[in-house]
Amino acid sequence: MKKKLKVFYFIFFLSFLPVPFSLFHASYAESFERIISLAPGMTEILFAAGMEDKIVGVTTFCDYPEEAKAKPRIGGMSNPSLEAVVSLKPDIVVMTTDGNPKVFQQRLGSMNIKTFIFKALTLSELPDGIRDMGIALGEKEKFDNLALKIERSTNRFKKTKKTGSTKVLFIIWPGPLIAAGPGTAIDDAINLLGGINIAGDAKSRYPKYSLEEIFHRSPDIIFIGKGHSNMKKISSSFLKRLSHVPAVRNEKVFYVSDSLYRLGPRVVDGIEELAGYLEEKNTEH
Amino acid sequence: MKLKLLIMVLIAFAIFTVALFIGPRVINPFSINEIEKEILISIRLPRIIVSVLMGMALGASGAVLQGILRNPLADPYILGISSGAALTAVVGIISGLAFWGTFTIPVLAFIGALITGVFVGAMGWKRGGFWPERLLLAGVGLGFLFSAVLMLIMSISSDQGLRRAILWIFGDLSLADWSVIPYGFVFITAGFVISLSRANALNALILGDELTHSLGFSPRKERFILFVSVGLMTAASVSLGGMIGFIGLLIPHIGRFIIGPDSKILIPVSALGGGILLCIADLIGKSLLSPMELPAGIITAIIGAPYFLYLLRRKDVLRI
Amino acid sequence: MFSGYKNTILEFERVGFSYNRDKPFIKDMSFSLGNGEFVGLLGANGSGKSTILKLASGILKTSDGNINIWGKHIQSYKNKDRAKLLSYLPQILDMQIPFTVKELVSMGMYPYDILPKLTVDEAIEMVGLTDNAESLITNLSAGERRRVYIAMTMVQGAGLVLLDEPLANLDIKYQIELLRLLKKLKEKRDIAVVMALHDINIALQFEKIMLIKEGEILCFGNPETVLTKDLLKKAFDVDVEIIRPSKSRNVGERQDYGEVYIKY
Repeated sequence: MKKKLKVFYFIFFLSFLPVPFSLFHASYAESFERIISLAPGMTEILFAAGMEDKIVGVTTFCDYPEEAKAKPRIGGMSNPSLEAVVSLKPDIVVMTTDGNPKVFQQRLGSMNIKTFIFKALTLSELPDGIRDMGIALGEKEKFDNLALKIERSTNRFKKTKKTGSTKVLFIIWPGPLIAAGPGTAIDDAINLLGGINIAGDAKSRYPKYSLEEIFHRSPDIIFIGKGHSNMKKISSSFLKRLSHVPAVRNEKVFYVSDSLYRLGPRVVDGIEELAGYLEEKNTEH
Repeated sequence: MKLKLLIMVLIAFAIFTVALFIGPRVINPFSINEIEKEILISIRLPRIIVSVLMGMALGASGAVLQGILRNPLADPYILGISSGAALTAVVGIISGLAFWGTFTIPVLAFIGALITGVFVGAMGWKRGGFWPERLLLAGVGLGFLFSAVLMLIMSISSDQGLRRAILWIFGDLSLADWSVIPYGFVFITAGFVISLSRANALNALILGDELTHSLGFSPRKERFILFVSVGLMTAASVSLGGMIGFIGLLIPHIGRFIIGPDSKILIPVSALGGGILLCIADLIGKSLLSPMELPAGIITAIIGAPYFLYLLRRKDVLRI
Repeated sequence: MFSGYKNTILEFERVGFSYNRDKPFIKDMSFSLGNGEFVGLLGANGSGKSTILKLASGILKTSDGNINIWGKHIQSYKNKDRAKLLSYLPQILDMQIPFTVKELVSMGMYPYDILPKLTVDEAIEMVGLTDNAESLITNLSAGERRRVYIAMTMVQGAGLVLLDEPLANLDIKYQIELLRLLKKLKEKRDIAVVMALHDINIALQFEKIMLIKEGEILCFGNPETVLTKDLLKKAFDVDVEIIRPSKSRNVGERQDYGEVYIKY
């Protein structure tokens, strides 16, 4: 009887052994099989680079592509849940300097969770940022291809760049009026296409813009981002007040997609969209 | 005293005129081109009118409220009216509601403010009258609740929505256009006229309910009428341009330092002072970092508070 | 000096009052006052002096019985009309608000749509504060502040002035000054004054004293009849000794202090 019990204990003890061993194994592996993205832009890059199956967690704001919505959520960009991140046992957490708190990286570091910080802020920095991510994730080839695709498309516009001086205003929200300012992908795209972003000299990336400055600087084209399904209705009375501005007078107000809101693979679509409207404008002259 | 008031009115008009022509860019009043004309008429003038209306409403309702609650710390926001307005307005801003175009946010804020006002009033009502302490505590309690719900909504909203909400909460006069002015004007003037017509009763209430009775007023009735006037003014003001701090709390005290506690003079002086301060604050807010605009509510406190503290050191009276 | 009989201006008819339903606080109280009377309400703490004044001023409503002023039920008056007839000054007056003397006295005009008979300047002169008319009340002495409020009631034109412990917390000098002032005003303007008191010696200065105990009138009459050893023992539950120097004079002519006093 006693001997039987001893054997039982031994087997019982043995049954626990594989658990610590497997934990040990995972934390030292360099193949990143479990990736968490802490920003919608990062999620889009990861998806575009074909990492879909390795993503185990995204933020509540990651809504593109459609498949991203099915991934487990770990909270917001500025307030991700440490507990949710840790419980998903990530091999690496992809973060951005634009929107994620630095302390969060330090907390993850103290728990021996690897992080990659995406540092690109402008359109020109984007391809290199993507390449860096590829190196860090050990998938150099996939990310290099994505970076190259983006570079090709932007270079195409660089070549066809016109020296025209079309004044452009990109409105994120009409009331309170928020415009796309310097340091945004939108500003980069406008400049790339040979336009002048009239909010490009503001002191903040998304400034609350002065209404009367719009009159003074009289933009030739106004883009309104479709950040909301109701955008046309929301901005209608606002546009009525701007009826003296050339863009409104000449009916050069265009509602465009939110492709440029995030520094990611979709900026290519966004640039092409703006380019279409800007070229139309230039050919008129 | 009348001379002082006249001088203040003149100063106010001088400032309003100056604010019309200077700004992010100075407009020469003697040579105005087409664009400048448009800017003056459809942007600057309505904005100045809205800032003055809001400032007047907040200054006057602060003076009234400190009297009826007999509390020097009372301001139009302590009754929770503004948090109620902020809650409904922010829900509208974040979710992008637009059922009445430009009116959407002001109407939502006004509805939120009125509902809160009625609710606080009901909580502060017992045995046929308002009880100052009950009103205050009901307002503070409700304010906390609304702020918490507001924070909840803001913390689960997208970053862009959050930005818009914050800009509105700190006071956003950029929405000002002619269409909202008539409504704001009607409610604010109504509240102002009511409170000024009850100035005697307010003076009596400051002395105490028993003396109010002795001087021929019903303290409960007067407190109710004055509360309604404050509710109208605050609701209209918050709906015109969000929450502007400082004015409602400290402008009445500055008024008392300068012209004394007599409500007949203090109410118009607080209104005028509030209008002047907000007009200047908005001028600075839109000019300082042009073309970017800073919320006027932050500027009012930054330029107003040091002056208040200076007066506090110099004068030895700080009572309602 | 008090010629003939007076009109009844304040009348309690079997008045009952209670703050909570179970315990009557004022019980079946009846009395009447005429114009020009100078009455002291005397009683221990909690005997009901303040409540009687608040009932008489209409701040509190009776549970039973009627209170009439100038022959009409007090609650039948409009607020403003009542304010022209009677004025009530609570025991605790907020003295911290920086109104000027003139501003405060002017508040006596509130019940009037036209200028009242007595002007603000006259009232300020009557209470002897002409030199301080523009001063802030916060800069005045306690006695002077009381006088400011008295001037306010004068402007109000009240024929009946109800004062709750106006002498409390005043130095003896100010107590005497205020009593003299009130007596002078009473003679000049034929007003009736009712004030709550707690000091028995001060009560000696009054023409009539109402001794209150537990919401009931123990005795209502001139000081000689009210201030007896037995009644005071009943009202205050202390033994007192009444000392009357031999050359005691007629009550009406009594000077301030010094003639009769009561030793506790």
